[in-house]
Amino acid sequence: MSNNWEMVIGLEVHAQLKTTSKLFSSSPNLFGSEPNENVNFIDSGMPGMLPVLNWACIEKAIKTGFALNFTINKHSVFERKNYFYPDLPQGYQISQFEFPILSEGYLDIDQPDGSTKKIRIERAHLEQDAGKSIHDIDPKFSFIDLNRVGTPLLEIVSYPDLSSAEDVVNYMSSLRQTLMYIDVCDGNMQEGSLRADVNLSVRKPGGELGTRCEIKNLNSFKFIRQAIEFEFQRQIEVLEAGESVEQNTMLFDTNTGETRPMRSKEFSHDYRYFPDPDLLPVNLTDEQINQIKPSMEELPHEKMNRYINEYKIDKDISKIIIAEKENTVLFEQMINESDVAPKNIASCLVGDIFAFIKEKNTEVLSLLEFTKDITDLLKLISEDVISNKAGKEILPQVLEGKGKPNELVKKMGLEQVSDTSELEKIIDEALVGEEENIAKFQGGSDRVLGYFVGKCLKSTKGKGNPKLINKILLEKLKIINGKSLIFENCDKINDK
Amino acid sequence: MSDIDIKRISYLAKLKLPSEKEEFYSQSLEDIIQWVDNLKKIDTSNVKPLHNVTEATVSIRNDNIEKNNTPEDVLKNSPERAQNFFKVPKVVE
Amino acid sequence: MPKRQPISSLVNSLKEKKISVHELFDQFHKVAKENKNNSYNLVLDPDYQKSNIEASQERYSAGTNLPLDGIPLGIKDLFCTKGITTTASSKILSNFIPQYESFVTQQLLNDGAIFIGKNNCDEFAMGSSNETSHFGPVVNPWQNKNNPSEKLVPGGSSGGSAAAVAEGSCVASMGTDTGGSIRQPASLCGLVGLKPTFGSCSRWGIVAFASSLDQAGPITNCVEDAAYILNSISKHDFNDSTSSNYQRDDYIKDIDKKLDHKIKIGIPSDYLKNVTPEITAQIENTKKSLAGHDIEFIDVAFETTDYALSTYYIIAPAEASSNLARYDGIRYGVREEGSNLDDIYLNSRTSGFGDEVTRRILIGTYVLSAGYYDAYYRQAQKVRRLIKDDFQRVFQEVDFILTPTTPNEAFKIGEKLDPIAMYMNDVFTVPTSLAGLPGISLPSGLSSNGLPLGVQIIGNYFEEKKLLQLSNLIEKELSFNE
Ligand SMILES: [Mg+2]
Ligand SMILES: [Zn+2]
Repeated sequence: MSNNWEMVIGLEVHAQLKTTSKLFSSSPNLFGSEPNENVNFIDSGMPGMLPVLNWACIEKAIKTGFALNFTINKHSVFERKNYFYPDLPQGYQISQFEFPILSEGYLDIDQPDGSTKKIRIERAHLEQDAGKSIHDIDPKFSFIDLNRVGTPLLEIVSYPDLSSAEDVVNYMSSLRQTLMYIDVCDGNMQEGSLRADVNLSVRKPGGELGTRCEIKNLNSFKFIRQAIEFEFQRQIEVLEAGESVEQNTMLFDTNTGETRPMRSKEFSHDYRYFPDPDLLPVNLTDEQINQIKPSMEELPHEKMNRYINEYKIDKDISKIIIAEKENTVLFEQMINESDVAPKNIASCLVGDIFAFIKEKNTEVLSLLEFTKDITDLLKLISEDVISNKAGKEILPQVLEGKGKPNELVKKMGLEQVSDTSELEKIIDEALVGEEENIAKFQGGSDRVLGYFVGKCLKSTKGKGNPKLINKILLEKLKIINGKSLIFENCDKINDK
Repeated sequence: MSDIDIKRISYLAKLKLPSEKEEFYSQSLEDIIQWVDNLKKIDTSNVKPLHNVTEATVSIRNDNIEKNNTPEDVLKNSPERAQNFFKVPKVVE
Repeated sequence: MPKRQPISSLVNSLKEKKISVHELFDQFHKVAKENKNNSYNLVLDPDYQKSNIEASQERYSAGTNLPLDGIPLGIKDLFCTKGITTTASSKILSNFIPQYESFVTQQLLNDGAIFIGKNNCDEFAMGSSNETSHFGPVVNPWQNKNNPSEKLVPGGSSGGSAAAVAEGSCVASMGTDTGGSIRQPASLCGLVGLKPTFGSCSRWGIVAFASSLDQAGPITNCVEDAAYILNSISKHDFNDSTSSNYQRDDYIKDIDKKLDHKIKIGIPSDYLKNVTPEITAQIENTKKSLAGHDIEFIDVAFETTDYALSTYYIIAPAEASSNLARYDGIRYGVREEGSNLDDIYLNSRTSGFGDEVTRRILIGTYVLSAGYYDAYYRQAQKVRRLIKDDFQRVFQEVDFILTPTTPNEAFKIGEKLDPIAMYMNDVFTVPTSLAGLPGISLPSGLSSNGLPLGVQIIGNYFEEKKLLQLSNLIEKELSFNE
């Protein structure tokens, strides 16, 4: 049914800014405090209280401007958006309306076919967050906690350039990634640091835009996907039943996965925006704007390019690393602290370290204290002191802080046997009675070499240096057969 | 009759005018709006609105925390509370 | 009215131990307590102020007295005072006890002043006669000599402040002026009322009426007292984003200094178009009194005067409608019962606000609403610029502007029922407010009914020092207080 319909989506993303204090007051900008702990007389809308703008919020907006290719407006104006709600103490939200701080930006998102799609962003403006009404403590009452009141938000409004749930999730996660990279937002969606309002309408391909509905306040990728899919089907059903979609504000029910209109209002909203007379316009100088540029952090795609070009890391692995900023912090610290090849560090990170993180459910950044140990361990492997396999065994211990790699190697008895005479003895023993296989080798079967290496490793209980065994083995076979050997095969085996 | 929708205006302002006063306010509003209508005579097409006589840029503060009050100070005047929450009849969305 | 002692001479008496701080407080408190003109919403008794009185007395004894030490002041009930009920003369705030002190009153406390109480005013400062107060009208202490039984308004909205100073229950009172609310009552009560330049005194902690217009200022017996208070309250406040950080003068120093160069005073003909001869006479008196000085009077004309009231009655209610949205019965103030949240809002606000406040909220909501914003609010903002420019043009020619303060003397309580007729009271004070300029009202004479009338002198931005010097001179020459 949905085959002949397409969806048109625009996103309004509210990002809480990572600041110490609030947008217009000096209360802490903190999540998870006791009720009304972070509330002063400004936040609670007491008579005569006045807002004073936090410069850090302007700074973060400017950084976002650079990162998302915005025009940074030198003149912006805070206005009042007037409406009544119990978690809105002033009776208005201070926001930007006619003159936002940022306009006309864009963000490139990846498409399944490997190409990128440009999502245009209409504007981004600074505004205050509201408090929280808690409805589930008491059946008859709502409890109001104003801690979140005045938390700085940057509302980022895209054009309706998104055409699938996939697009939306890509856009949102790319946005989230960028904001986290430039330290503008902590990206914690569970705590509401990043919330999306989805504006969705449907149309026949090439047809006129339909009436849109706004689904409010989605704070997880799962819900965003669910809400979009449900709302898409709902609108199609309405239209195919010959009715028309009513412009509405919808709520998403996380329990049922359905969208439903908010309780209809007697009168439509009229926010009566007007410039806040308590605040003067924000007039920025070129100097103020440019001053922020040098402090800009590397953006995800910039990092990725550097990893590929400078560190010679595969694109796919680079992509995995840059997905979260914290990965890059861990990664770059390892690179800076050691001379281990970045490539080896990268493969260890996305392989064993990520596996450990997943299994133990630990924080990436909690491993920062072990980076030196990790690279020491990688060094032991590259210097053939231990085998790759031994390294895998030791790594979890290192990540749990159970000891230094060289201590652990000794303690666990994993030091590699690299004594040539000892290995020669083992190899000689291994070749006894293997005339048939030697003949196969002679016939060009490279699998036999693997068999011999395996046999030798087994008799060293895994501690034999495979590279060395390989080398000696080849020498021996050469002698035995008096033939030259296929070294490409050997290299392949060496790599494993 | 006036084109002022007094019901809508009072709803936006969260005021419930008693029906016997609706006409009074409606009339009064209309008189005043008519009285201020003389502004329409002025050609302001080239004039920028003046938001504030102080046409300086906004003053800003550094991103520091200042805590000069307790939750109790904020809740002290509340008509109804539950522990450290403000309390209101259930909000239905 | 009896001649009052200025602050300087009271401070001297306290210094010389001719009177104690306690005795001085008692003397004013006694009058305040009677509250016969309803000029107080709340009177603080000597017990409450005991520690302040004692601390002040100690400073006098130690010779470390502060500029306003021990001076009993009235405070308009629009200033939030820590631990002291602050109502804005509204039912909705009738139980509100701020846990903070407004910037301006804090400066006065820092300088040793002792508060007598909270002065009645128009509800949320919306009114020109002090009749909109939830706690009843204030009565002007002056009487019509031809009809002494008539109760007259003191003007508004700082009517309680003016009546309190006039009745002698405080030495001076802090008022606020949005469109004339200091100057007009000062004029109707025969006092000095100063509205400083917008941005001169912090609005932090003052219950907001119209943020882009509100300005605190003193109502006093004499110009010198206004200078004393301005010295205390005019400071840059970081917590008010519209507070100016220009370098303030010492307003007392050289207040008596003779004019050292010729000054030009403009008299706007358009202000005198429709006034009674009695009002015109005030301007003539003032001119005459200055005859011996090197002052040139120049006729000037404004192009925007006729639009000022309209502009004001769009901008002020618009801002007010938003500023008063926080009074909803949820976090403080009076909450009315309701079966659901919306009912609580509606019932609390409807019952909590009086008629005039309701009217202005409605006007403000209307002019900001969709479809009307451009025609009313934006247009008013544009005309406001024209008004400001108009003043700047005139100030290129002259140093000061002299106008009447009000078009009439104090009128009977209940006389002006029509809101527009009431709004006309502010016709001479509103333009200055819109331009954000400093203006002062000085008593200039008596009407045929024996009621005080005043003139307004308008200065250029932040020229309060020169404005007070000229006012001081006029005061001396007019000898109104003698
Ligand atoms: Mg939205
Ligand atoms: Zn928003």
